Amino acid sequence: MGKLSSLPKLYLTAVFIILYAPIFYLIFYSFNSGGGMSNFESFTWEHYSAVFEDTRLIVILLNTVIVALLSALVSTAIGVLGALAIAFLRNQAMRNAVLSLNNILIVSPDVIIGASFLILFTIVGVKLGFASVLISHIAFSIPIVVIMVLPKLQEMSTSLIDAARDLGASRRDILMRVIIPYIKPGIFAGFFLALTYSLDDFAVTFFVTGNGFSTLSVEIYSMARAGITLTINALSGLIFLITVALVLGYYALGKKAKTDLTGVRK
Amino acid sequence: MKDIIRAAAAILIISALLLFVNSKLNDSSGRSGKDVITVYNWGEYIDPDLLKQFEDETGIKVIYETFDSNEAMMGKIEQGGTSYDISMPSEYMVEMMAEKDLLIPLDRELLPNLQHIDPYFLNLPFDPGNRYSLPYFWGTVGIAFNPTLLEGQTFEEWDDLWNPSLRQEVILVDSARETIGMGLNSLGYSLNSTNLDELREATDKLKRLSPNVKAVIGDEVTQLMVNGEAAVALTWSGQAADMMYENEEIDYHVPEEGSNLWFDNIVIPRTAKNIEGAHAFINFMLDPEVAAQNADYVGYSTPNLTALDWMDPEVTGDERFYPDEETREHLEVYQNLGLEMLGVYNELFLEFKMEMK
Repeated sequence: MGKLSSLPKLYLTAVFIILYAPIFYLIFYSFNSGGGMSNFESFTWEHYSAVFEDTRLIVILLNTVIVALLSALVSTAIGVLGALAIAFLRNQAMRNAVLSLNNILIVSPDVIIGASFLILFTIVGVKLGFASVLISHIAFSIPIVVIMVLPKLQEMSTSLIDAARDLGASRRDILMRVIIPYIKPGIFAGFFLALTYSLDDFAVTFFVTGNGFSTLSVEIYSMARAGITLTINALSGLIFLITVALVLGYYALGKKAKTDLTGVRK
Repeated sequence: MKDIIRAAAAILIISALLLFVNSKLNDSSGRSGKDVITVYNWGEYIDPDLLKQFEDETGIKVIYETFDSNEAMMGKIEQGGTSYDISMPSEYMVEMMAEKDLLIPLDRELLPNLQHIDPYFLNLPFDPGNRYSLPYFWGTVGIAFNPTLLEGQTFEEWDDLWNPSLRQEVILVDSARETIGMGLNSLGYSLNSTNLDELREATDKLKRLSPNVKAVIGDEVTQLMVNGEAAVALTWSGQAADMMYENEEIDYHVPEEGSNLWFDNIVIPRTAKNIEGAHAFINFMLDPEVAAQNADYVGYSTPNLTALDWMDPEVTGDERFYPDEETREHLEVYQNLGLEMLGVYNELFLEFKMEMK
């Protein structure tokens, strides 16, 4: 990494301060024993204990995490297959068409996707709840995974595959031992992006929650109407911590993947 | 490849574990019986202890969900796929839902606690005879202001907003009925006026207010007032109560010419599965002791007359939130003016906003 001269460094620092200040401001006040965010009275853990005492909130938090994990997992599996299909489509026009269809889903507004899902589910007769939320989260995460995996596939030299074939690898071997290890960073990136998308989605989720199943974004949104209570701050602080842990985990995995690539095959 | 499979397996195991914990939590927070009702309410609009108390007293488990706007709530109920047994729409939404046949009529025999409701809040034009709804909380539209940022201004009448000394100080709500209604009230007209001349006059008067207007915004106003970044705001009493809770300097007043009286109401939507349980819930919420505790928690005004005896006299004696009979006489509930008239209101409001500098 080259050295940054002082001006860009300063700029970068300023940008990060602006990005992180609100989060730290929010977390700071989660320790406030006073009722609001206007003046800090004294340090307290009470808002954190309030989070843990509120079983409903915990259930909703767990719901959110479960949906995020499962939807990211399933959408990664489907998305990788989709990316493979797109990358190895012979017909150029067809490939572009499929890719465009994929991209349209990424740019179309969440509200529209959410409303269409609501209509679809009620027509088909799926009861709103865990299943409907999971299905819609999987659906809107797939295009993201595809977009994350595809560049890796495209940058992979075809000579790698040719070489594998020359050495007598079967199609299954090529997929399992050449392609998938090569695109692994893309797969993990897609998984984590799908995870965060699922965690913070409000618009789609709002339409498809129901019958007692809710996620954090929907809950916080309606709680915030009556002004942000410090319980929300505490909860946000906890989630921020979990996210940081996840990101660190992702980097640890990424590092390992890198050494794997340069090292001997597993 | 192996580590991908391992990671996937790990995620599945974690999810399964979380699901298990979740179902355990769900079981411990409720009863195992089949008797369940689903309540769809505004966020932070009920004391959670009361839900537990209701479950203990009746053995009916409460599933609780929240929404943040009348329109979103109705959209979901209208579309189906849910089974809400109770919801809390505002008064105009009760009327719309009744028109669309989305509500189930209330059975009075199952609601003995109905007697505690102040008759003043019953039999109103949006739901004659209270066929579908009962009032849950109520309030007014008025002026919230921060005296420390002002030079001794008071807001006895709406015209005080036009005072030239308030240049760039006033925040209005971004809602046609409230703002145009304020214009009509300041001229002594009804805020349900459908007379085009009166509406035109009110709009012209509002335009003369524009030098004083700092912004026309929604819920963000609470934070601005609390932080002392704004001095005067046209707002709802509930929102004013939120502001006062966080910043004691703020005061609230309903000008004497009259203003809007609003309600949030308990209804049973068409999607209800447990109508008997829903009535039990409504009756429970109408219990004076329960209503008093709920009003303490939420901070809005309760329509439950008997509940007032259970509450802090300092709260119930506060005329800003429990106005006396005389002020109440000047309050009006919004009537459904029909789509066409609503269009006129919106158009005039837009005209006012566009001419603002």
